[in-house]
Amino acid sequence: MAETSLSRQARAASPARKRRTDRPGPFDYARKRWLQLVFLLATIFLYAPIVVLIIFSFNDSRRGGNVIWRGFTTDYYVRAAQNSELLEAFGNSMTIAVISTLFSVILGALTAVVLWRFRFPLKPGFEGLVALPIVVPEICLGVAIAVFFSYFGLYIPPGTPWPFNLTNIIIAHITFSFPFAAMVIRTRLQTFNREMEEAAKDLGASEFQVFRDILLPHMKPGLIAGALLAFTLSLDDFVITFFTSGPDTVTFPVKVYSMVRFSVTPEINAASTVLILITLILTAVAMRFQTFGDSR
Amino acid sequence: MAEPIISIRNVSKYFGDFTALEDITIDIRPGEIFALLGPSGCGKSTLLRCIAGFETPSTGDILIDGKDMTEVPPNKRPVNMVFQSYAVFPHMSVEQNVAYGLKMDGMSKSEIAPKVAEALEQVKLGQFAKRMPDQLSGGQRQRVALARALVKRPRVLLLDEPLSALDAKLRDAMRLELVKLQQEVGVSFVMVTHDQSEALAMADRIAVMKDGRLRQLADPVTLYERPADAFVADFIGRVNLFDVTGRAPFTAKSLGALELPPGAEVPPVGDLVLAIRPEYIHLHPDTSGPIPAKLGDVGFQGDISVVEVTLSDGRAILVQVEHDETPALLALPLGAPVSISLDLTRASVLPVSDA
Ligand SMILES: Nc1ncnc2c1ncn2[C@@H]1O[C@H](COP(=O)(O)OP(=O)(O)OP(=O)(O)O)[C@@H](O)[C@H]1O
Ligand SMILES: [Mg+2]
Repeated sequence: MAETSLSRQARAASPARKRRTDRPGPFDYARKRWLQLVFLLATIFLYAPIVVLIIFSFNDSRRGGNVIWRGFTTDYYVRAAQNSELLEAFGNSMTIAVISTLFSVILGALTAVVLWRFRFPLKPGFEGLVALPIVVPEICLGVAIAVFFSYFGLYIPPGTPWPFNLTNIIIAHITFSFPFAAMVIRTRLQTFNREMEEAAKDLGASEFQVFRDILLPHMKPGLIAGALLAFTLSLDDFVITFFTSGPDTVTFPVKVYSMVRFSVTPEINAASTVLILITLILTAVAMRFQTFGDSR
Repeated sequence: MAEPIISIRNVSKYFGDFTALEDITIDIRPGEIFALLGPSGCGKSTLLRCIAGFETPSTGDILIDGKDMTEVPPNKRPVNMVFQSYAVFPHMSVEQNVAYGLKMDGMSKSEIAPKVAEALEQVKLGQFAKRMPDQLSGGQRQRVALARALVKRPRVLLLDEPLSALDAKLRDAMRLELVKLQQEVGVSFVMVTHDQSEALAMADRIAVMKDGRLRQLADPVTLYERPADAFVADFIGRVNLFDVTGRAPFTAKSLGALELPPGAEVPPVGDLVLAIRPEYIHLHPDTSGPIPAKLGDVGFQGDISVVEVTLSDGRAILVQVEHDETPALLALPLGAPVSISLDLTRASVLPVSDA
């Protein structure tokens, strides 16, 4: 997300530069051969696998891993939709994502407000600690959380009713996604004009009323962006889920992985395409809210 | 004299070991426009924020309507403020912004509506009630901030640099409008400004501050005619200052020995300066006057011109010339020999600002 806003700035800045110097303008570069090549390579590198995945989700072939085009069909979407195990995994993933997002945003917002609002001893240390899960390799975090659960005997007994059988995964997901939410919300808070707060108090508002009527509406774009970020992070997490899920609970990415181990059927392609679509839509919405918030 | 509406008594404010306000005592009267004037960083905003309750004086008291405000938080004080950035709530419409303070007072919707409408009429924003703040100009946003504060019927309205965010032309128009508005609602205004012409044009009384201290508190005419010290004389309007040595007769640097008119007030001790405003110096377009000078730039301003002349020792001073006399000067070349005479009855001998 940071990268998008950066490139947007760069694009906005370059036309002005064109006027002042003889350097080529932003569109002149497009005519250079080597630049076209870089662009082409980057696009292939990024999107070719996804494009192939999507194309072959419509392939009318019986065996998986078959990369010979045998005609167009939507059968595998139907079959994916009828695969009860896949559907259960999908339902689990959605449930985990929704619940962990809710907690991530609340925890992230509180952390962001505390870090933004108050000065206290060891604050830089605390800030670093909050950001740590973002940089710690996922595999380490996964192992750490799994070890933590088993050390404290926090395992899910077999036969625990849904959705309580997902508790451990949800806790793990909150752990790794709330720091992202906190970062996004904190960035939003940075643009808050403190005079707004004083103006509200001056008009008779209490601390709580200031928070509810002034600060919260200001934070809203950050809350939404943070929520969508947490949601997509949770939805497609494999590593940490793999380490923290019990034997009976399966999430969508974990299910796909186990299916792939037998054979890559177009059914998996179809299911993955649906997941890509969901992630894509949510990311687009998140970015929209982010820029919408900035323009205010 | 009526009871003061705000009493600021021996207020000092320290930020760490930095003194932002030192022993300020001011009474604000009901129904007046009071200006806090001074250069940047002199503590004007800090004093205003002490009145509003956003800063707590380190020592001293602030009384509003005779009641000590020390323990009263900002949301319980009978004053309202217009902030420098206006701080109009961006996610509320104009109407909602103005209604917010009344809502906080627990008023019912049916009570609020007519008051909001009246307040918006007062600041001529009637037809903008449903707009969002980002659809308003800077001047309109300021009116929202004004209406939002005035609708609460405060005992005193506090304004921090109310005009500084507006462009020059709008600023001049708003000066008059603010004064009219104040006369209409009859509420005392305390406004902070660093623009002396704004303070002179609008205020009934002005407190001139420097480095956290009150230098002079007077009405605009007194401030202009009888400044308390060289700093005030220099800060208010244009003035020529000459270092003075000796006492009766004085010798002013660049001017020589001077005979002040009898009865002129002269501070008994300390370093002195002679202050004389450009309009009390007469410029002769020839060498007939007592003090020789060389003609410098003629700043034509229409009704008057402000002319720079250089004295024999190279010191440049400002002289004001009426419109009728300007063409004769413009005809002369730069550096032409001219002469000046001083109206010493209008000059004052002032202490050099103590520190
Ligand atoms: N919270 C604070 N902590 C430390 N110093 C402060 C604080 N608030 C103000 N000051 C200092 O107090 C002095 C007076 O500040 P103040 O804002 O009252 O100035 P001002 O007269 O309003 O100036 P300006 O015209 O630039 O607004 C300044 O030197 C400022 O740096
Ligand atoms: Mg200020």
